[in-house]
Amino acid sequence: MTRVRLENVTKIYGRVIAVDNVTFEVESGELFTLLGPSGCGKTTTLRIIAGFEVPEHGRVYFDENDVTYLKPYHRNTAMVFQNYALWPHMTVYDNVAYGLRIRKKVLKLTEEDIKKRVREVLELVKLEGLEDRYPLQLSGGQQQRVALARALVVQPSVLLLDEPLSNLDAKLRIEMREEIKRIQKKLGITTIYVTHDQIEAMSISDRIAVMNKGKLLQYGSPREIYFRPRKLFVADFIGRSNIYVGEVTGVEDKYATVYIEELDSHIKGVMVSDEVKSRKKVSVVIRPETVKLVEKSIGKMENLFKGKIDLAMFMGEKIETRVKIANSSMIIYIPNYMVVSPGEEIVFHIPPENTIVIPEITMED
Amino acid sequence: MPRRTGFRHVSLKDLYIAGLVTALIYYLLAPYIEWTTEILIWVLGIVWAFLLFKSGLDYRRILFSFSMSFLAIIGFIYTFFILVLQIRGIPRALALFLLPLLTVAVLGYFKQNIIPTIKIKRLYKIHVPLKRRIKTTLYKLDPIMWFFLIGGSLVLIVFLITPVLLMLLNAFVVPPYVKDIFYNFERIFRPGSRYVRLTPPPGSSLYRFLPLKGGEKLLVITGVNYGILLNSMINAVVVTSVATVLGIIVAFILARYDFPGRTLFRILAMIPLFVTPFVNAYVIRILFGPYGPISAITDALFGWRIEIKSLAGVALAQIMAFYPIVYLNAYSSFINIDPSMEEQAENLGSKGLKLFLTVTLPLALPGIVAGSILVFIFSLEDLGAPIVFQEPNLMSYQIYSGFTTEYGIVSPELAALGFVMLFLAAMGFLAIRSYVGMRSYAMISRGGRWVIRERRLGPLGLAIVYLVLLPLILFTAMPQIGVILLAFNIIPPTGFSLQWDKATPQYFVRLFSDPAVFRYIRNTLMYATIAVVLATTVAIMIAYSVSRTKMKVITPTLDTLATIPLAIPGLVIALGYYYFFLALPNVFKPIPVIGEPLYKLLFPLSPVSGPNTFQAWIILIIAYSIRKLPFVTRSVYAGFQQVHHALEEAALNLGASRSRVIFGVVMPLIFTYILSGAIVGFIYISTEVSTSITIGGLRDDQAPMTFYMMSQYKGGTATGVQVAAAMGVLLILIQLIAILIIVLVFKQRYAFIGV
Repeated sequence: MTRVRLENVTKIYGRVIAVDNVTFEVESGELFTLLGPSGCGKTTTLRIIAGFEVPEHGRVYFDENDVTYLKPYHRNTAMVFQNYALWPHMTVYDNVAYGLRIRKKVLKLTEEDIKKRVREVLELVKLEGLEDRYPLQLSGGQQQRVALARALVVQPSVLLLDEPLSNLDAKLRIEMREEIKRIQKKLGITTIYVTHDQIEAMSISDRIAVMNKGKLLQYGSPREIYFRPRKLFVADFIGRSNIYVGEVTGVEDKYATVYIEELDSHIKGVMVSDEVKSRKKVSVVIRPETVKLVEKSIGKMENLFKGKIDLAMFMGEKIETRVKIANSSMIIYIPNYMVVSPGEEIVFHIPPENTIVIPEITMED
Repeated sequence: MPRRTGFRHVSLKDLYIAGLVTALIYYLLAPYIEWTTEILIWVLGIVWAFLLFKSGLDYRRILFSFSMSFLAIIGFIYTFFILVLQIRGIPRALALFLLPLLTVAVLGYFKQNIIPTIKIKRLYKIHVPLKRRIKTTLYKLDPIMWFFLIGGSLVLIVFLITPVLLMLLNAFVVPPYVKDIFYNFERIFRPGSRYVRLTPPPGSSLYRFLPLKGGEKLLVITGVNYGILLNSMINAVVVTSVATVLGIIVAFILARYDFPGRTLFRILAMIPLFVTPFVNAYVIRILFGPYGPISAITDALFGWRIEIKSLAGVALAQIMAFYPIVYLNAYSSFINIDPSMEEQAENLGSKGLKLFLTVTLPLALPGIVAGSILVFIFSLEDLGAPIVFQEPNLMSYQIYSGFTTEYGIVSPELAALGFVMLFLAAMGFLAIRSYVGMRSYAMISRGGRWVIRERRLGPLGLAIVYLVLLPLILFTAMPQIGVILLAFNIIPPTGFSLQWDKATPQYFVRLFSDPAVFRYIRNTLMYATIAVVLATTVAIMIAYSVSRTKMKVITPTLDTLATIPLAIPGLVIALGYYYFFLALPNVFKPIPVIGEPLYKLLFPLSPVSGPNTFQAWIILIIAYSIRKLPFVTRSVYAGFQQVHHALEEAALNLGASRSRVIFGVVMPLIFTYILSGAIVGFIYISTEVSTSITIGGLRDDQAPMTFYMMSQYKGGTATGVQVAAAMGVLLILIQLIAILIIVLVFKQRYAFIGV
């Protein structure tokens, strides 16, 4: 299996810096996701790895080999394109067999071997029996599977997936997401996955790299990214967040009290880093699902807040409410069995251990 | 955004006021001032516009407005010629009226495009080492891409740019006693010369009545001779305008209204597109002759007969031949407008003519003018009508006759004239191309297919369609119908009558039985076949390079070069090739050892090598493939565009080499595009006129069909007129078969789309 390493990679298109000094390493056998909004440079990064683009700065390594200037057809990566890029003039079988036929001489394959391997991979993606169809006869989900099979059959050292599920409908997307994860784990191929869908990214990845405006902001496991974002953009992009400007007032060891002017209240016992301690103004991020409703009669307890429900939306698995507090508001999720109505006053607890403090107050650096 | 300055907003109204005042000052003072003082008025217009611009005039309005950007582009060309030709009076006042608008357009262009680029370069200062930059560029190119890129560019440089440059160079060749190198141009642009005659000769008028034998009167419409250069320009502008209006009307009715027989109308409206060089103009001459059918009608109605000849005849023949080009472009523009655009306007209360003028026409305009500019170029370079109507006072005729009269020696003045023609055509073309490019966002819409807006016609509408539109369409199809009647001897070669009893296929038999005639047919078919193969090869190389590389300067230049032959009049190519092949053998002569044999080998390509040694066919084939290259390239390019780049990348990614991708994945996908491009090329090549009768005329046993047809119609003598008409029918058949193949076999739209 192959490790992929990018070192200070920069790609410039005319006036735009598409990828800005990006460095990361993908472990062998890992499913690594590049996540970010459209135009953030994630697809360009993937195309650099595939060899369709060359960076103006920096290097790309597969294991210890510098592949920056290796032609795409010598890299042994296999890419699944966003629009699948199935050749409409070839049958499913011919599409899938294409890569093997190219490698026929090198791998000393006979037509029989090819047939066998194509059949195996079609079984793997559950497409047995569709060999003789043309791509345009297939449904979106089936086309997706053909594209995946075509990439997998050559046993690539790196599998590259460029928003592979974005053209599928919601239900199919979840099904295919599981499928991809299952196959990737089974084969253990180093995989780089590009998506703008954070839920897709979190559910499928071993590690995620969040990109914005060409820069790689943070990378780590889905949990790390979700619970310990280090950049305001990451906190805002992943999951839903209430973001306030706060002030660090009292520091005790690793814990601090932050004052939020908009809510006119303090949150005590929040874990903070050294960098946060040195800042005067910080961002305070509260995830809506971490907030807990409490009985109005609970009496004295730290980090209790009172607010009036402004808007309540029943979402099925939860109720999303916007609660007015002081001069501001906060989005809070409430269990779906409760019945709330606008104007109602509620009391809730913000757990300090789930409150995130970030040492920047704007999205810019 | 308009800025508040002093006490009010500056708006476009101020621009018009500035123009109006400047124009008025000029008009009032013109009789009393010299051109040195006049410069002050020009400066006034420019400074005024500059001040308006500085005080925050919204220059973007000009860019984004469909009509104003068009006006600005036409205005530049107009003003240029007003100045060069030293035309005064109201036309010059009009130029001054446009001056502030043009100034603001230029300033806006600089502010929008040039300054930001400079600024951003300074701001970013992204330093990429040269070595790395070269490496990055080279990485993208595989050997086959290199071959395509260099091969394609080389062909265009050698056979397109060099000849045209040589022609330009020869335009500056002056007699030894003249010091001024612009001598040839001055001869053309000097007012009062035979090129520019601002006051037409006394007694000349657009039309006059002449008495005929037997007391009848004859209305002769000739057109006024303003000199060769102005005639060509006026003729081209008139033909383009009338063809455009006619094309828009016919296209709109056929695209948007439903009535019985509409499909038939559509087919009939395409008939003039069948190119039958010379014969169709000849038929028009017969139709509008003093004893033709039109005269019979006017005689019965008004008591006088009519004859249209000279410049008026040329204009008429060109309008009838070229208006379907606008019609086709306008038609596809109208059906490509997202109906929701018009529905929204209706929804807000707009209807009828208002709706058409405010929404429909502006949205369709880019597509329409793309066709109009082709008409303009075709009209400038057309030889068929001027030769048949024996009108020498046109640029095209002058260049042509320069080839025929002084055998072997083409005068430098002709080269200068060729350059002026090229300038007119290319300026118009590039201007329209950039205009259409700017406007292409107009068609961005929600995508998907939509139902075309169609109306049923009421009784009044039906009456108009059947009583006005049908006769009009039938009328414009007359020349082609006439060609067939002439070929079968139903119409006699002179005079006019319909003699069904004398119909005979004997002229068709002669086409193939008479070796002196069949030679021309064989030549055309042979040349067209070879030229198409060459053109298609070059087209594939260029189209692939252009669609798949994104190199600064090189890619866009190649793209423009591959399209520009559309804008280069055939006569310019003929002149360029004349000079090119004149010089070619001598270039190699000084080289030691191989020089002498090469000279001997290439000498037969020189037009002065003698009537029996000159190998015109090689030059014709090269000229054909370069001239008609854009039509082939466009189709092939459309094919490459259809193939999403991911389809290629997927194959590269799986380990296929570039050549394997091109020939294994891409070519099979776009095979039909390549073939239909080749067929379109074949049509245009087999009907080519300009180089055929000039270069071909230098060696008439190697000349193609169109040369033979020209020679039969030139003097209006009746010798081989009907054999040539039969040839015309043969050409119609070739075109018909080719179009049917494209439409029925390849299921592609056959369109004569410009730009």
